[in-house]
Amino acid sequence: MNPFTGPTDRRSFLRDAGGGFGVLALAAMLADEGWLVAAEPDADPLAPRPPHFPARAKRVIFLFMAGGPSHVDTFDPKPDLTRLHGQKLPASFGMVKTRRGVDKNRLLASKRTFAKHGRSGIEVSDWFPHLAGCVDDICVLRGCHGDSVTHPESVYLMNTGSILMGRPSLGAWATYGLGTENRNMPAFVVLPDPGGWPKGGAPAWGNGYLPAAYQGTLVRGGDVPVRHLATPPGVTAGQQRRTLDFVNRANRDHLAARGPDTELAARIAAYELAFRMQAHAPEVVDLASETAETKALYGLDRKETAEFGTRCLLARRMVERGVRFVQVYSGDTNGWDAHTDIEKNHGELCRASDKPIAALLNDLKRRGLLDETLVIWGGEFGRTPMTEGTNGRDHNPHGFTMWLAGGGAKGGTVVGSTDAIGLRAAEGATHVRDVHATILHLLGFHHKRLTFLHNGRRERLTDNGGEVIDAVLA
Amino acid sequence: MRELSKRQSRMLPVRRSFVLGVTLVLAAATRADEAVDHWAWKAVVCPAVPSGLPSTGNPIDSFVRARLTAAGLTPAPPASREQLLRRVTFDLIGLPPTPREIDAFVADTSPDAWAKVIDRLLASPHYGERWARHWLDLVRYADTNGYEFDEPRPDAWRYRDYVIQAFNSDKPYDRFVIEQLAGDEAFPGEPTALVATGFNLLGPDMTDSSDQPLRRMNTLVDMTDTTALAFLGMTLTCARCHDHKFEPIPQTDYYRLLAFFAPARFRHNLHAVTPPEEEAYAAALREYDSLTRGLRDEIAAVEEPVRTRLRDAKLSRLSEEARLAHRTPEKNRDGGQLELVAQTERFIRVSDAEVVKALTAGERARLDELKRRLKSFDPRRPPTPPLAMGLSDLPGPPAKTYLLERGELANRGPEVQPGFPVVLTSGQPVPATIVPVPNSSGRRLALAKWVVSPGNPLAARVIVNRLWQHHFGRGLVATPSDFGTRGRVPTHPELLDWLASELVSGGWTLKRLHRLMLLSETYQQSTLASPRAVASDPENHLLGRMNRLRLEGEPVRDTLLAVSGRLNPKRGGPGVVLPGASQAAGGSRALPVTADAAEYARRSIYLFARRNLRNPFLETFDLPDSNLSCPKRERSTTAPQALALLNADEALAAARGMSAKLEIEHPSPSARVEAAYRLALGRPPSADERERALEFLRESPLSELCRALFNLNEFVYLD
Repeated sequence: MNPFTGPTDRRSFLRDAGGGFGVLALAAMLADEGWLVAAEPDADPLAPRPPHFPARAKRVIFLFMAGGPSHVDTFDPKPDLTRLHGQKLPASFGMVKTRRGVDKNRLLASKRTFAKHGRSGIEVSDWFPHLAGCVDDICVLRGCHGDSVTHPESVYLMNTGSILMGRPSLGAWATYGLGTENRNMPAFVVLPDPGGWPKGGAPAWGNGYLPAAYQGTLVRGGDVPVRHLATPPGVTAGQQRRTLDFVNRANRDHLAARGPDTELAARIAAYELAFRMQAHAPEVVDLASETAETKALYGLDRKETAEFGTRCLLARRMVERGVRFVQVYSGDTNGWDAHTDIEKNHGELCRASDKPIAALLNDLKRRGLLDETLVIWGGEFGRTPMTEGTNGRDHNPHGFTMWLAGGGAKGGTVVGSTDAIGLRAAEGATHVRDVHATILHLLGFHHKRLTFLHNGRRERLTDNGGEVIDAVLA
Repeated sequence: MRELSKRQSRMLPVRRSFVLGVTLVLAAATRADEAVDHWAWKAVVCPAVPSGLPSTGNPIDSFVRARLTAAGLTPAPPASREQLLRRVTFDLIGLPPTPREIDAFVADTSPDAWAKVIDRLLASPHYGERWARHWLDLVRYADTNGYEFDEPRPDAWRYRDYVIQAFNSDKPYDRFVIEQLAGDEAFPGEPTALVATGFNLLGPDMTDSSDQPLRRMNTLVDMTDTTALAFLGMTLTCARCHDHKFEPIPQTDYYRLLAFFAPARFRHNLHAVTPPEEEAYAAALREYDSLTRGLRDEIAAVEEPVRTRLRDAKLSRLSEEARLAHRTPEKNRDGGQLELVAQTERFIRVSDAEVVKALTAGERARLDELKRRLKSFDPRRPPTPPLAMGLSDLPGPPAKTYLLERGELANRGPEVQPGFPVVLTSGQPVPATIVPVPNSSGRRLALAKWVVSPGNPLAARVIVNRLWQHHFGRGLVATPSDFGTRGRVPTHPELLDWLASELVSGGWTLKRLHRLMLLSETYQQSTLASPRAVASDPENHLLGRMNRLRLEGEPVRDTLLAVSGRLNPKRGGPGVVLPGASQAAGGSRALPVTADAAEYARRSIYLFARRNLRNPFLETFDLPDSNLSCPKRERSTTAPQALALLNADEALAAARGMSAKLEIEHPSPSARVEAAYRLALGRPPSADERERALEFLRESPLSELCRALFNLNEFVYLD
């Protein structure tokens, strides 16, 4: 039931108009009646828009491994590191900066076993038995590098392209560029780990200097997936409808008395959207309609995978319904930050995330969604080949692994490498900026042309350079 | 088609800037000429007021009408009295007019009724609370450091209160500028001037940076950028890494400006007191120390061995790196150690209770006795002076400043001396005249004096344009912090210069300028436009009507508190931590919630502003990110805003509060409806509206009518 049954019965057709169409229909109707000045660019910041050129990727799921997962224990096998285990960093590697000053510490071999998988024969460690089955869909970037040895700066770099806080995030840029196809849900959804946010907090999904409409929205399961979504306590559904009817009627009279005004009309439309969101968002996060097979696929039936699996399944449901950008965090505030006992820390997080991530890729694929959905995996940095304490690893922004799948990324490929022990990016090195340029390219943007004028500068995500990594493109 | 044209319109400026870039590269040699030619960098010349038109007695109207008449347009009729009062009350104090104020103004037929309203509002202490918020946007104010730990800045609020007070006391703007840039040098010994220099340190700060020299440079860059944007309307940021691509601003200009700040010491615990107060405090402290030294030594002799033993035991359970970090003296710790200490400090802290528990009964009795005796000296102990963030200069000769190639700290170019942007000194670098002051280089004072000197045309133009922007919804220059060649040209250049001249000749008082603008008929026009006016001037550049303005989040929240009779008018003091704003977030610690619940109903400007956890209600209504200077808020229209006003606790509590108040004050439903409209919308309901509201009340409680009123377009849009 739509509460927006105003004085004209023409509105009733809106009730039956599904999805985002209702907005367009309303806009058209308002324009018809002379209330909406045509071609007003600011009226609807989230209206869907085409990118600069046609592209495969329409949506993004960014699986963010907060704290910084070790590449040498997961996707970047280093036999030389095993060979040099217990020795000091050879002098040939020169000076290296780390957060905790472990440059003089001994090298620590990975305790993991690597094996080749799939037709591509990409090596993956035994921490990811399920994901290993997906390597032919994955493009592994083994030569990534960033700019800072600290968490918040690196979290900001990975999310916003700058180590300084307060710049717009990747998800904000994507929704700024593309709008959204589902107005019943936020365009840019963030599913944080229930244990805590990544270091640096909400600015990681902030809008920076972009309009607030582009910021990430925290979404959780249950009846109130989005803040302020629930009708206030003590107000019945019927009452909410009566109140909204009153508001709508008065707003239309108010507009009629004032003549065409895009902002007033847009605000009336926003109330309609709000109502739709209230009706539809709980359905999006309700997993009741998922089959037992699907739930099991994501590991919802097992203690160690149920939580992260649920969020991966939510991510699929959202992109399926046209949400533009979903960011799923793995790991609480400390997350993958294994300064001590990497075996325990990473072992638990890998067990929690391996099956759900593999399920996500396979599920997207069998539903025909993977081709249009770019899945990104990575943390803010990798970890040092040198030990910290006896069994931990320090932060390593000098060389680490990310991977991309679907959305026009070339599966079964390895791009770039680190040096013999995994300390620094070597051949085919790709800076975080290059990864950003590539992501924007996969979404159909010339990364230098997706800009926003702020304080006299035409700002962009890849402000300090960045080149599209051609080898990633399918 | 709409989408296509939108895309095109977004891409158009890109192409234009590309063309401009090429042009500038080709025409690099002519940059100096361009500098002289650009309107904003020329001296302000007070223009003659246009004549030959019917005059309203206010020169602003003459300037505006000259352009309207030339375009064949006429001004809109005046707004109604109710509309005017609601408009100006929100504009000046950020709160709605009360029904009594509405009645008084509607009934006041004296010719100066409007002027009296303006004077009343300008004299209200709420005026500063409203206008300080505009300034705080510009100076990236927040109460925390940002980054991982987002530590509270427990004394930042003194700067916020300083700004409120500066507006309320109508502090001349030139002095306001000097105090913020160089209060310590210009007015040594004046606590308010010290607090004002907090301006320079308001940006985010990564306290545990692994690169502390870079951390200092980031702070210097932040104050340089913000100074250029806020006071000069100049976008220097590009010139940090290379010569400005689109403005005749060489990279050296950036570092010459930065050099004014280079000697600064960043202080987070300045004593904001006068020198005699400082001396008295120091003397009292010395006396207290000498009186109690023996006792304190005796207490330490009992406590410290135990405390050290307990702490060492806890420390031994930490990692080797953490132990080393704790044992390293604080000033020698590197960034990683600072982080490690911050993360592990709570594991090794020894509470007094733990110490007491570990003592023998005899020791415990002795400690009790010693502490009792120490406590008897408490009245002699001087209270800690108020602390503030701000600047002083480091001792010794100022650190050298170098141009940094590509903006990289490790990439030093030639040394530069403090100096002003060459576009303002006829294209040639002119060394600044710097007179050292006691204990300080005098550099920032030289900068501050130049900013407000007749030689700089920007300061006055920029601030009058900001006032205009907030009164009319758009500045005469629509890019309020960018008066450069890429900014928008003024719609009324003579009016802008006339206002700038008026500001300076009137002693830089802002209230006089407010008054001038608000007394104009231009301000008092209706928002209703004739179809012809809309067709020929759709964006209202010529000001042939008033712009319909949407309230920002703060006035919306403050109004919800006010109309339900709950607004706590308490002024100033530490920021209020709401119950929902206290949790740990992304590496920051949980904060203690403000204990007194009455504080939760204070005005939004007094809410504690966390960089990493912003107030969701205000954020929904375009609260700007507090990390970069924000000269103009976005005004988005989104579904989450609708959800917030419909369903948030803020709205529900206001609806219930307001209906309870109405039920007590008014016996009949009809009287309640009347009062509800007057409270929420500043006008009585029409006959139709009254009837519809009464019909609504037959099925719905009064609180629902109130909630509905909060969601009307009319509630958030000012006519």
